[in-house]
Amino acid sequence: MKKLFSKDNFLGSSFDKKQKWQSAVVYILLSIFFVLSSFTFFNFLFSFVDVAGSIVSGSMDVAIRDFLRNLPLLFVFLMTLWSLLLVHAVYINRDEEHLRKSIIKDSICILSFALVNLIYVIVRLAMGEYVSIAEGSPSKLFPLDTLLYSLPFVLFASLCLIYVFKKKEALPYLVPTRGSITTKARFVYCLFMALWLLFALYGFSSGILSFFIYDFAHGHAFYGIATLFCYLLSPAFLIFWELYFHGLKEEKRKEALLPWSIIGLSISLLGLILYFVSLALDLDAPSNAGFGMFPIMFSASVNLAAMLQVSVPFIVSLVALIKALIWRRDCKQRD
Amino acid sequence: MKFKAIPLLLMAIMSLSSCGSSYSYKDHLEDYVFKLDFHSEYNILQLTDIHWSANTSTSSSMAYLNKLFSEVDSHIKANQGSDAHIDLVELTGDMFMLATPYNVEAFIEYMEIKASQYGFMYASIWGNHDRHGIYNPNWLGAKFASAKHSIYFEPDDDLYGRSNFVINLTNEDEVKWQIANLDSGASFSETAVSPFRDYDYIREDQVDWWVKEHDLAGKQVPTIAYYHIPQDENLKAWESRASRKHKFFKLERFADNGNERYASSFIETGKENNLKAAFMGHAHNVDWTVDYDGVVIGLGVKTGTELYFAHIDVNNDDPILQEGLSSVGISENFDLIGASLVSLHDDDSFDLEHLYFNEREGGDFVAWRSW
Repeated sequence: MKKLFSKDNFLGSSFDKKQKWQSAVVYILLSIFFVLSSFTFFNFLFSFVDVAGSIVSGSMDVAIRDFLRNLPLLFVFLMTLWSLLLVHAVYINRDEEHLRKSIIKDSICILSFALVNLIYVIVRLAMGEYVSIAEGSPSKLFPLDTLLYSLPFVLFASLCLIYVFKKKEALPYLVPTRGSITTKARFVYCLFMALWLLFALYGFSSGILSFFIYDFAHGHAFYGIATLFCYLLSPAFLIFWELYFHGLKEEKRKEALLPWSIIGLSISLLGLILYFVSLALDLDAPSNAGFGMFPIMFSASVNLAAMLQVSVPFIVSLVALIKALIWRRDCKQRD
Repeated sequence: MKFKAIPLLLMAIMSLSSCGSSYSYKDHLEDYVFKLDFHSEYNILQLTDIHWSANTSTSSSMAYLNKLFSEVDSHIKANQGSDAHIDLVELTGDMFMLATPYNVEAFIEYMEIKASQYGFMYASIWGNHDRHGIYNPNWLGAKFASAKHSIYFEPDDDLYGRSNFVINLTNEDEVKWQIANLDSGASFSETAVSPFRDYDYIREDQVDWWVKEHDLAGKQVPTIAYYHIPQDENLKAWESRASRKHKFFKLERFADNGNERYASSFIETGKENNLKAAFMGHAHNVDWTVDYDGVVIGLGVKTGTELYFAHIDVNNDDPILQEGLSSVGISENFDLIGASLVSLHDDDSFDLEHLYFNEREGGDFVAWRSW
């Protein structure tokens, strides 16, 4: 175990003082944007599930009305998510040219979502579609709060663009790096990571919120704790993957993947067992204990959504294990 | 040491998943009773499935409810005299779905204002979706319990559901009518690996509780029950409607549990205990009401335009829709939203009216139809 955490394994072991400061800034920004993305995604999903409910119930007019009203929630989520992707592109990048392009592309996206949101809200207000700038619901200050939220993102994206265009010579922060993903695997890899990210974002926010919205009393504590454990595993695994695994030197990643995937598989399996045992002991718990955590499940009367959410850590660990075994086999064949 | 830890762990797990309540409803029947003064022509307004959510324009919804309350109040005064008013509002579940704390606080604040304005009390019943918000359900219960004009009771008891209580309408200490409020639950799975959830139903302990409460009030006392999810009798009555008095619309399924194994005995038991009527909500496109062997069971008219509601097109040749239209005698298109009004009389009888109320730019659509 000590070997897995040895300082020499990490790319950062060769950082000079300036790069260490830059790393710290990147980690802080990653954390901020991950948390913000998580909660803005939760907000958007909550709204969207209600819209989906109207569609499924045959009221397209209500669905369109509600979707248009709460579209700023989607813009807010997208500008936050793209900020996370921008910082992530700085954190993991191939080369300077790719980094420049990523920053420019992501900054334009952030700027677009933020400006479109500003314009959209103002136009709807002018047309009387919003009763007032703070007509309320989902929050007291909606849609004003989405306007105010957009402003720092306009600033952030603008500063990123200005910086990249002004800096003609090499961008100072270029590590850690990662080789390019082959075209064959790229689509599958990106899809997999995107889905994992969404489940992790949802797991994080609903996990944190559950401390406040879940009824741990009335005998439902075991189910609540088991669900909370499973929900927080997705973001925990993603954060571990990104911060620990991608912080390793290339050759060390191949060594580290097998033991860590086995550990991940064991923890996620434990989570699954705890979840299903707790549910079997208390089938009334999901219904009575507070379901802000499970909007999809409860709206559509399906358990599959919750089952999927608690299974994601197991799935990603399994994929990691398969990848580790393939790497091992390839290494042996080369030898 | 290792082997001793396992039973301790099992005990810890069992205690975390046990009900753990020492408050038995059987020993505390009187705690579940509220008393209000009765007078003849006692008016109970049922609002159902208001469905405030994160998407709701609370301002728009309040504007609709303002007009609705005004219309109901005017109607009552026109029929019963200027002193008459709404006495009790029954909120039969799904006041919220995917709601935020802001929605809850705004709603209760609004109801308090209206209660003061029109002079009513209001009783809240849990629907399946009220549990479905970004708030702790205990907090929601506490909000209703502490509101000045709200009638609500949620003890940590061994009775199924979050909140079950009765309102005894009394005249000089004699109980003239009983209003039973039951939590018909939300949904459940039969096993831990079931992919789907079934709608809940009124459980046997709830039936037992109500019978005891009714006995306490007096076997002769007529009762009207309010809850959220229809029980199996609604479908049985629909299938045999040709031989029964029935009225209003059924444009979708009742969305009840549907499994014979989970058929509730509430209505059958009610027949033997002077249950006069049972009103519920849940299925927005249904306000169908039927006389089921002496018990009037029916869904209220969905209140407001949240989530989904039926647009009635008089030119639609669907036979079920036409059946509903001919029962109400309305010849123009309208939306199936509004409210239901019950007026209780001294002689153990009651009147029921459905109000279809639509906001329109050129003049609101108002149609009252008696049962």
